[in-house]
Amino acid sequence: MSHKMDSNKLEKHYWIWPIAIYLFLGGLGGGTLFVAGMFDILYGPEAGYITALAVLAGVACLGFGSFLLVFELGQPLVFLRVFLSGTAILKYGACLLILAMGFGFVNFLYYLPAEWQLFYYSWTWIRDLCCWLMAICGLGVMVYTGVFLASMKAKAFWNTPALPVLFTVSALSTATVLLAILAGVWPMPADFTVQLAGAAHAAEFDAHKLVEELHFIDSILVIAEVIVLLVYVLMMRAAGNITARTIAIKWLQGAWAPLFWGGMICLGLVIPFFCYRLGGAGAEFIAPVLVLAAGLLLRFMVVFSDQRHEIAGERRFYNRLPKGDEAFLHEWKAPY
Amino acid sequence: MADTIDIHAEGVEVKKSCCYFCHQNCGVLAYVKDGKVLKIEGDPTHPTNQGGLCCRGNIALLHLDHPARINHPLRRVGAKGENKWEKIPWEQAISEIAERLNAIKAESGAEAVAGAAGTLRTDDWSRRRFFNMFGTPNVFHNALLCWIPTFMVETAVSGWSPFETDLGDSRCVILWGFNPGASAMPGMRGYSDLRKAGMKIIVVDPRYSETAAHSDLWLPLRPGSDTALALAMINVIIMESLYDEEFVNNWCVGFDELWDHVMEYTPEWASEHTWLEPELIRECARMYAKNTPSNIQWGCTADQLGKTSGAGMHARAILRALTGNLDRPGGDLMPGPSHTYVTDEELEANDWLPEEQKAKQIGANKFKMTSWPGYQMIADTARETWGKAPTAEWMCEAHGPSVFKAILTGDPYQIRALIVSATNPVNSYGDSKMTLEALKKVEFLVTCEYWMTPAAIYSDYVMPIAGALERPIVHNNYGVTDHLIASQRAIQPLYERHTDYNFWRDLALATGQDVDQWPWETLEDAFYYVTYPLNEQGYVHGSYDEFVEKYRFFYPPVHYYGYGRNGFCTPSRRVELKSSILEELGYPALPTWIGPAENEIDDPDVAKEYPLVLTTGGGFMPYHHSEQFNIQSVRFLRHEPYFTINPEKADELGIKDGDWCWIETRRGRIRQRANVEPSVDKRVIYAQRGWWYPERQIAPGAVVPDEPFGCLESNVNVLSSVDDEHCDPIGGSWANRGLLCKVYKVDYWDEVETQFSIPGSSSEPGITVPPSKQKLAYEPIPYDPKPDFEVPEGLTWDKKTKYAWDLELGLYYDKDSGWLIHPETQVYYDLYTKYAYDPTDNTLVDEATGVHYDMETRQPIGGVAPVSAPATTEGGE
Amino acid sequence: MTRYAMVMDQRRCIGCQSCTVACRTWNELPLDILYNPVVGEGVVGEFPHVHQTFTPLICMHCDNPPCTICCPCKASQQDEDGIVWVESEKCMACKACVNSCPYGARDVSALDAPLHSYVRKCNFCKDRVREGELPYCVATCHQKARIFGDLDDPNSDVSKLVNGLNTNRIFPELGTDPQVYYIPDLGGVKL
Repeated sequence: MSHKMDSNKLEKHYWIWPIAIYLFLGGLGGGTLFVAGMFDILYGPEAGYITALAVLAGVACLGFGSFLLVFELGQPLVFLRVFLSGTAILKYGACLLILAMGFGFVNFLYYLPAEWQLFYYSWTWIRDLCCWLMAICGLGVMVYTGVFLASMKAKAFWNTPALPVLFTVSALSTATVLLAILAGVWPMPADFTVQLAGAAHAAEFDAHKLVEELHFIDSILVIAEVIVLLVYVLMMRAAGNITARTIAIKWLQGAWAPLFWGGMICLGLVIPFFCYRLGGAGAEFIAPVLVLAAGLLLRFMVVFSDQRHEIAGERRFYNRLPKGDEAFLHEWKAPY
Repeated sequence: MADTIDIHAEGVEVKKSCCYFCHQNCGVLAYVKDGKVLKIEGDPTHPTNQGGLCCRGNIALLHLDHPARINHPLRRVGAKGENKWEKIPWEQAISEIAERLNAIKAESGAEAVAGAAGTLRTDDWSRRRFFNMFGTPNVFHNALLCWIPTFMVETAVSGWSPFETDLGDSRCVILWGFNPGASAMPGMRGYSDLRKAGMKIIVVDPRYSETAAHSDLWLPLRPGSDTALALAMINVIIMESLYDEEFVNNWCVGFDELWDHVMEYTPEWASEHTWLEPELIRECARMYAKNTPSNIQWGCTADQLGKTSGAGMHARAILRALTGNLDRPGGDLMPGPSHTYVTDEELEANDWLPEEQKAKQIGANKFKMTSWPGYQMIADTARETWGKAPTAEWMCEAHGPSVFKAILTGDPYQIRALIVSATNPVNSYGDSKMTLEALKKVEFLVTCEYWMTPAAIYSDYVMPIAGALERPIVHNNYGVTDHLIASQRAIQPLYERHTDYNFWRDLALATGQDVDQWPWETLEDAFYYVTYPLNEQGYVHGSYDEFVEKYRFFYPPVHYYGYGRNGFCTPSRRVELKSSILEELGYPALPTWIGPAENEIDDPDVAKEYPLVLTTGGGFMPYHHSEQFNIQSVRFLRHEPYFTINPEKADELGIKDGDWCWIETRRGRIRQRANVEPSVDKRVIYAQRGWWYPERQIAPGAVVPDEPFGCLESNVNVLSSVDDEHCDPIGGSWANRGLLCKVYKVDYWDEVETQFSIPGSSSEPGITVPPSKQKLAYEPIPYDPKPDFEVPEGLTWDKKTKYAWDLELGLYYDKDSGWLIHPETQVYYDLYTKYAYDPTDNTLVDEATGVHYDMETRQPIGGVAPVSAPATTEGGE
Repeated sequence: MTRYAMVMDQRRCIGCQSCTVACRTWNELPLDILYNPVVGEGVVGEFPHVHQTFTPLICMHCDNPPCTICCPCKASQQDEDGIVWVESEKCMACKACVNSCPYGARDVSALDAPLHSYVRKCNFCKDRVREGELPYCVATCHQKARIFGDLDDPNSDVSKLVNGLNTNRIFPELGTDPQVYYIPDLGGVKL
């Protein structure tokens, strides 16, 4: 997409909201596939019915994220070249994304109503294999969203190994929430229910149990995220690099402090924790929304903290260049 | 993309063109195919730039076909300044202009037509030729701000103003108010190389300029106080016996008077005026005088100080002479006009301008050194010395601001028509409000331009002029050096553009001038006439283009000590430390301190309200004067005006870096953004020159604002003063530097006022005093030379010629021989008998009767009746 | 082998920005693209004891360029002689390289037609260089503050300067091994 003409390279954001959303969705989708896959593996295929819709949602997240990626990063026709060549992290990411989506989708196909299922119904090894692969690729995508940014040497606030950790924790947290929301919504086949341990309403019980477990896991994850996030930003605050420090100050004390303390830490992480502890509607409805919003906010804040290491004198130079709306830029159409 | 254009493809011609965006005229190679310039680059073999090109040179192609360029003659429709135009053919425009000019000449005399120009974007010898033949002396440039007064004063003192410095062998150079780091890129390379090789560089500049950053000694003086510094340096050099005694004894006159005169100008005295430590002034003087050969490089500061200017120029000329640096290896060279090729002066046809018209030149009665009175003296001496004179264009002009005042007041007479070429007077002349008003008011205005400017918009006709790449260019530094660099045109002018030469020639023919006087149809023809004599020097060529392609430049061998043959080009043939020419014109014969136009010592009341000292006019990259503001690639680098203020002062005034502020003097105020930087003293403000906003184009039919293109908004010349009392009485320079100002932040409800100021007194706007009643900074000193011999009875002492004359016979008395001499035939006559001396038989002869007389006895030879006359004198010959 | 490199002589640079404009016109770059900004802190110090230096920037043509590794399309590439360049037809303007470059040497113009933009960067004027000419910014520099040549040729000016003088590089700690060397200037009037 085209930006407003802007020559201030220090203040210019090359990646903007679509990338933030993409990173959020990538983490959410990848995380969902990973967590769902893990449940599948741990609890057996019957758990798959409980998480099936979440898997589909995860695939959809990845799909929409990919759309944004193509929309923002490239020209659709040229984008295909990503898969043909290169050693770039972006390429690995794109491949992981496609694979995760593919495996997730194939996995999901096994939970369609029986009458819709075709020849593959009996080949359950494919389902099991896809479950593993989906979990692995999901993990890959989730971690990749952080590595993608952290690999940018130029960016003072990104170029640290802690960023993938932060993104992974956040991705797991948001994925857990998505699973909890969608757990058990996907209808189970009647005969399958009968086959279960025999207890009445076994499916509901299992789903309920799963949700509770998920809430418990997420309450741990949000605390972990608070810790990782605070450590991350405080270490940046203490960094020798002036660009990183400036950004950290902006987060902690500056223009973004309300967003960071109020939005991220308090609303996004601490309040959900107490919601989970209190249980009930708070855990069920308020916490998920807040956690998801915090995940999105985190991606936005990180993506827009993309300042480059400054070369001495650059700021003074770029500050004095035109901003892009000056009349002289538009009065005459110069050939170049 | 660059790689889509193959400059090595077949059919691509390489033309040796040059840059035309400042005076350096760096060499440019233009790759041309089918009449289209594909690419340009710096010419690696060019002596000036050796392949380098600055911001301005590199935009030649953007300039060539810029969407805002004027490509056809425009004739005004509707009222003046309504910005409504119709395109008409070139010939029609020329004949209509000619008709109008002829009518004005018939009604009010040729002098009612004036011509304003800018700086070397033209071949102004042709303009001069036109105006001389037309009969008006009222042509001018911004010459008075740009080295010309320096040239004239230094030439009066020492016979030539060293434009060329023999830096290769020099050990120290003073860059006095000269910042090649922002205004003369090729020069700066040279200084960097030479400094590396050990030459010392002294920079005199109130601002820590790009050049000061590469200097050995930096003197950040109070703006406008240069004269005090120069006088104190003379003092140090004399008191510490650092002068070249041999040179001073043999080649200078007036040293003893100078000694007495500068006794009072001690470094301690100068310290008060310049804000420099006395020790720093001494160090500067010692560094310059001890490291001979040393130079003072040309620079324009001295020409922009107003009333203090002239003495400073004189003082610097003395500095060069005292140190014996004139015309010696490594020193300040004085080649005189070119002895080989045809100079600009020889093309100007100055003889065509009648004496009575010369006398009508506006400003010539006040600022004599740079107009006909002073120029005539210089030119006469130069012709005696070299047979050639400096150009009259630049060196001998009407006083620009006085012409604008004459338009407004009709004093001394009404100027009815003005032809403006290659200048944007509102930006480049002093007191912009007054200048703008004059442009609005003048009856008939023609502008030769590339762009629609604040002047063009009030014109009756706007003529499209060919620019860089569209014209051949001869570079010879206004005709004051003896070398020449030639460049060819890459392509013929686009659209209906013409070179300014063709404008003047066409206009000349249309006004009825004889075609025989304009034999060169094209500029190439004219330049071939210029270079033709070089054939004798071994530069064989059959056309101008051939000269360019084969030789490109002509550098005659350097001759040192040229004064050894004929003496210096002054009336006494010596360096006149005490200048007879200045004295004769009514100026102090020795450099005498007078403070800058406004200063805290002489004008404490003004300083109370305006406590800061303003300097303007300094060049800064990427612009040249008021040019290139509409070239986006250039404008991009500095799209808004910045003035510089010391951080301490900014803090005091609550100004932060980047704040829009007003800079106000008694004449008005402008706004620029603050560049808070410790490059200036905390009492100094440095404001950028040239600012206007060409992007504020006026749609056809829209109301033209009072100040089109924001031409007063950030324009430093709103602040400068052209009051006669602020101008230098010697050279007429007005005051751009050392003015008193104040600075404060712009409030958001502020508007730029466009109220009309001067002339009369710029401190009280409005016409209060007619120009002819205005006072000068000091009254002319009556020139009343007494004869240093006893005037024989019957003869009359004439103080102008400094001879005793026999008025009846038109003979002057030669005090050494005691004879009378006829000024033209050089025949000697006996003082008492008035008989002519006949050298063939050593007798006297009565021309009336043809009778010969014996030399000794005064007795007729051959028996004719004797004449009773006492024989007291011996024949001198 | 040939290894092109550039030396910036900060003792000579006067901040005239000729290279900035020259590069733009020679390469016909859109208005918002600068390959050669000349940056500086302005005059610093305390009047009258002040100094000033300029830093001309350009693509560092790193020996370990982060920008080519991160390119998913192989558009951004490095040739044997060290020149890093972008093959515009292959580029999809994902800007990964723009974000990866610590020197701000890459950019995408907002003036390109949508879906036809690509990352632009300095390529050391490789078309000129491979015909034996100098990069245009070097040719146009009046001050001769830019020196270009083959670092592997022991007789080249760059080789002599880089080996014989104490030169600086920008952000060597990032491991990019930049191949533009700076000869520092004291910047002030000699005390």
